Amino acid sequence: MVGAAEEIQLNRLESQVEHGGGGAWEYLCLVRKLKVRRSEKVLKYGLAILKDPKKRSKLGGEEWTLYEQVSLAAMDCQRLDVAKECINTLQKKFPSSLRVGRLEGMFLEAKGSWADAEKAYSRLLEENPLDQAIHKRKIAMAKAQGNVSSAIELLNKYLETFMADHEAWRELAELYVSLQMYKQAAFCYEELILCQPTIPLYHLAYADVLYTLGGLENLQAAKKYYASTIDLTGGKNVRALYGVCLCSVAINQLSKGRNKEEKDSPDLHSLAAKALVKDYKQRAPTKVSLLTTTLQNMKLLS
Amino acid sequence: MKATVLVGLFGCVLLAHAAYATIQYRGVLKILEEEFSGPPMNVVVELLVGLGLCTWAALTVPGTFLSILPDSEENRLVSLPTNVDFMIFNHRGRVFPYKIDT
Repeated sequence: MVGAAEEIQLNRLESQVEHGGGGAWEYLCLVRKLKVRRSEKVLKYGLAILKDPKKRSKLGGEEWTLYEQVSLAAMDCQRLDVAKECINTLQKKFPSSLRVGRLEGMFLEAKGSWADAEKAYSRLLEENPLDQAIHKRKIAMAKAQGNVSSAIELLNKYLETFMADHEAWRELAELYVSLQMYKQAAFCYEELILCQPTIPLYHLAYADVLYTLGGLENLQAAKKYYASTIDLTGGKNVRALYGVCLCSVAINQLSKGRNKEEKDSPDLHSLAAKALVKDYKQRAPTKVSLLTTTLQNMKLLS
Repeated sequence: MKATVLVGLFGCVLLAHAAYATIQYRGVLKILEEEFSGPPMNVVVELLVGLGLCTWAALTVPGTFLSILPDSEENRLVSLPTNVDFMIFNHRGRVFPYKIDT
């Protein structure tokens, strides 16, 4: 999870490393801890450390972690030569390791030889049929080949065994959204909210899906979830603020025909609109007029 | 502040005394050659009172509880981590291999 303070620290370290201020290893550690994907930078600075024997020996046992991180980054940047070197070093150090075996499979994936990668993973699964990471690689491979429906099938099978894996639920939700199967995606997000109720981004994603589905009930639920996102982020999530505004406009339009006098919180959308204006004034003063005219058109701001 | 510390200390003394009383009681039982079935009533009461006092002092001495704010700078989540386990390499980076000037 990437918190606000951690993100600031990461960006500060990144610019520090970029301008030659040192701290490359701390940066790489933070990238690993926060699980962010900054492959180019990791490759550049990680390789610099690995090429310098003095710096490398200073890391001690962490050296191998760095090899793994750099090889993954190299695959992501299509520098297969670098990746191969790293994997060979790891292979020499840990000849029968499952983790290195997975890296080799991923190398085959990056090369595009799907059949070989499939074979490698099947062999690893024979030895250790309950290895979650390798099951996930197989799913990712199906996705990489553009075969989303079979990826979904595999993922559903995987989730029958490992139900508590929230990352897999998230992946499934994203796959369903990419296929526009919003009802199924909504189910996945419900699962995620149950799993980790304090993460506002799941509330936000669920609200997005509900809003896309449309219909009065879904819109009302979406508004509630946008509101809970605002609650959990202290009103600092602009998307949730916009969500509340759009939901209340849509609800008004839908309930106009039926003439229903059901207004649970009449102030919510005007408050959200005011918060938006305030936020824009602080961070993007040039766009304020654009925002106010848009909100006035939606009759949220007088 | 000081009074609560004293109350906590008093609770600790009570607990220690309860332990001492139990040892004494067992010694007496050994002399009378009777079986030890449980601590006497006054020791049990002493234990409960001591426990209550210690717990109360431990909760009051360090100060009041602070609430965990989900929207504070440290706790507020701004982005989810990349789903590293499902990372795929079949993206546009494939066409533009990264060049390192070494």
